[in-house]
Amino acid sequence: MKENIIIIGGGIAGLEAAGQLIRLGYNPIIIEKEDHLGGHVADWNCLFPDMSSAEELVSKLIKNAAEANIFTNTEILFINRLKDNYNVMLSNGISIIARVVLFATGFKLFEAAKKEEYGYGIYDKVITNRDLEHWFNTGDDSRIDTDEMEAIGFVHCVGSRDEKAKNPQCSKVCCITAVKQAIEMKQKFPQARIYCFYMDLRMFGKKYEDFYISAQRDYGIRFIRGRVSEVSENIDGKVIVKAEDTLAGKPVKVTLDLLVLMSGMVCNPDSTKVAGMVALPADTDGFLKSRDNIADITSSPKDGIFYAGACTGPKTIPETLAEARTAALNIHTYLQ
Amino acid sequence: MIGMIFILTYCVIGLVRIILQLPKDDRRKFFLSLINPVTMMKNIRDIICDCLLHVKIWKRNKLLGYMHSSIAFGWFMLIVIGHIEVFLYVPHRAKFLYYPIFFRYFVAETDTTLKGSLLFFLMDFFLLVVLSGIFLAMIKRIRSRFFGMRRTTNPSFLDLVGLYSLWAIFPLRLLAEGFTADISGGSFLTKSLNHVFTAFLGNHVNMLPTWWAYSLALGVFFCVLPFTRYMHIPTEILLIPLRNAGIRITNARKGLAKAQVYSCPNCGLCIDACPMGVMKTNIKDTTVYLNRQIRRRNENRIEEISDKCLLCGKCTAICPVGVEGDKLRIAQRSIRKYGISPDCSSIDTSGLIEECNFSGPSDGKVLYFAGCMTALTPKISRAMCSVLSSAGIQYEMMDRDGGICCGRPVMMAGRVEQAEEMIRKNTEIIKASGASVLLLSCPICYKIFKEKYRLEGIRVVHHTEYLKELIDSKSIRISRNDLKYVYHDPCELGRGCGIYEEPRKVISEAGELVEAGKHHKESICCGGSLGSLSLGFDKRQPMTENALNNLTAASPDVIVTACPLCLSTFSRYADRPVEDIAEIIDKNMARQA
Repeated sequence: MKENIIIIGGGIAGLEAAGQLIRLGYNPIIIEKEDHLGGHVADWNCLFPDMSSAEELVSKLIKNAAEANIFTNTEILFINRLKDNYNVMLSNGISIIARVVLFATGFKLFEAAKKEEYGYGIYDKVITNRDLEHWFNTGDDSRIDTDEMEAIGFVHCVGSRDEKAKNPQCSKVCCITAVKQAIEMKQKFPQARIYCFYMDLRMFGKKYEDFYISAQRDYGIRFIRGRVSEVSENIDGKVIVKAEDTLAGKPVKVTLDLLVLMSGMVCNPDSTKVAGMVALPADTDGFLKSRDNIADITSSPKDGIFYAGACTGPKTIPETLAEARTAALNIHTYLQ
Repeated sequence: MIGMIFILTYCVIGLVRIILQLPKDDRRKFFLSLINPVTMMKNIRDIICDCLLHVKIWKRNKLLGYMHSSIAFGWFMLIVIGHIEVFLYVPHRAKFLYYPIFFRYFVAETDTTLKGSLLFFLMDFFLLVVLSGIFLAMIKRIRSRFFGMRRTTNPSFLDLVGLYSLWAIFPLRLLAEGFTADISGGSFLTKSLNHVFTAFLGNHVNMLPTWWAYSLALGVFFCVLPFTRYMHIPTEILLIPLRNAGIRITNARKGLAKAQVYSCPNCGLCIDACPMGVMKTNIKDTTVYLNRQIRRRNENRIEEISDKCLLCGKCTAICPVGVEGDKLRIAQRSIRKYGISPDCSSIDTSGLIEECNFSGPSDGKVLYFAGCMTALTPKISRAMCSVLSSAGIQYEMMDRDGGICCGRPVMMAGRVEQAEEMIRKNTEIIKASGASVLLLSCPICYKIFKEKYRLEGIRVVHHTEYLKELIDSKSIRISRNDLKYVYHDPCELGRGCGIYEEPRKVISEAGELVEAGKHHKESICCGGSLGSLSLGFDKRQPMTENALNNLTAASPDVIVTACPLCLSTFSRYADRPVEDIAEIIDKNMARQA
């Protein structure tokens, strides 16, 4: 009889951990509230910096985790702590007892409408990074008019590093996502002028810097250092963006056919809710608090509860996958 | 005696100095107001109501009101009756000011004093009243919560000296008069005291020291009075006619500002009122401490306190003596020397003049100035434009593509000259537009347009007022829904401009209106105010949360406000939708097909 391990969240962290745990001889049970696996990555089209396919990555992970018990469209009603076990009650009426629970609850995308000055949900030509990926995948978005695409803008740090939006943390991946999406848009609309409004560019990962330089050199994407101050709409329905170019020390005003907001990662309220059932603490940024942020990020302060991926803070895909493997190994050691 | 002379000369010198410090025009205005019978009556009425009876405090809290009026009015009556006694019985002594005080010591009971009938009875009665007030004051020192005050002022050393001498005066007087009750007469209180403690009080050896102690307490009180909070007693009598003469604060430290600072009784009502009070560290930045620091000329603290304030004006609204905490702070900011002073005179208005221009007669044409805060909350201007179009109003936006600041934020920062430059520029544009109504959806703009702009022939209206007019004139029709709305009074609109009822009437058209825990002039600032120059976001968050808790007391479905700044501040932390009044109307408008 293989030992049950409960994994909350069927995103890439949960899938990768499940795959590893299967190989280590356990029986992982994935609980996913959506109707599909893969989480946010499943909504994406291709991934930086090599433009590899998100779909391929997700299907590979699902294949590796195929032997796991997977409950989609399922939520957690409550978790009880028994003596050495956790009893998890699911919305489909099943209850599971396991010694280990792995939180792979991930993040939530910041609601761009909260930054009202950027006009998401108010102006027609303002979309988010996720909307754009959805369009890349399906080609279905009434807000994107392919016949008229002369100028496109990307706003970095929407709801990240923004005290006014209650999120002072950096979301890590939006800088490079904006560069990636800007290049993709330039490939689709070679005539369009593309602007990126940033406050800092954090190109920390492997090949990120090359990617960024290529965006400027090969694709002619214009990077304007300065936060967008306000967005308005003209009579033709185009968006007018006002910002300050802090390098030139001048205000800039551009009229755009499409404005893409790079919504950042914020803590997932569902994650906080489930964590609350077993009294797991939240860190100052709202994400779950690890036992040690340097040496032991995948362990919770409670025995038998582990973390993987963006439930402890914004992470890139390679970081998330690495953490999922770490967590799997930690669980294995814990159970031995 | 020494105390008396000292205090009188001090007050006269202070009075002359404050009046001399007033600007010339104001001084004329002040003297004219003094001989104007209408303001004179108002002055007398206000002095009696505020200084003696403390009507404002009564309205706030009965116990607190009784404490103040019993001491003030009781003491006043003691002095008056004391004088009457002297005039009646020893008229030749009346020229000595001190005589009434020690009347009982000097004058033995004779037949003419009618065995202490009415006057003596009254003396004792008012002494009892004062004593009860002092007793309450002592309880208040120990437990201010009984008086509805969560926190009270921390008195300075001299305040304590004044306080204890004030407390000592009346019990000592009772004791002293108790001695003389069998000689010079007394009434129910002093006589019975004399009977009960005959052993001690009957012994006349003890009499002189007690009378000395009484007169010493009195002397000490009057000697320290100018340096303590009790200076408010004489100053308030000056402040009332100054205020009734319509004088405004023009200098940070002199004239009316000085009168206000010295009128502060350090009661500490502003401490509980201050929205910053949710964080304990801010307690020493309330108006009462500003007044104290100004009296001490502690420039560093004055600067810190003045910069921190949100300028919500709540301390001004509830102050029983009428110290204008917000205006006082703006005045302190205005004397600051800045390294850089931006020059706005080169801003070109011709483009804007061209952009917002009506042709033909100006009847009913509306110029809508959304303002910079509304530019950051485009929902509001969208809703407002939609309402205007539905009502068939001819309107033009003054700042569709960016306009000039109304000037209020710079004015709040104390930079009056820059603000006036902006006022000039905007006036040019508005006058050239040919509109008859200037519509504003931001109370911050509204206040300065209403108060500082001279726009003859153009009506300045806030959108809450305008929406009400549109509903009243049936230009728009509202269909009711079954949502529960709570209205948040924005500081600048409510306390700042006195608009409370119009927005409530408008909201009642759309759904059920419930009130917040504290509302109207007691409304709590959202914490996002432009007024504060030094508060960071982390410091403001608890204030916003506190204000939200107050708003959701009656568990409304939607929080409605009429200020774009309150809107964006509340939406950041609110657990339910926050909407502008224009959005509510736009959503619930019955549109013609």
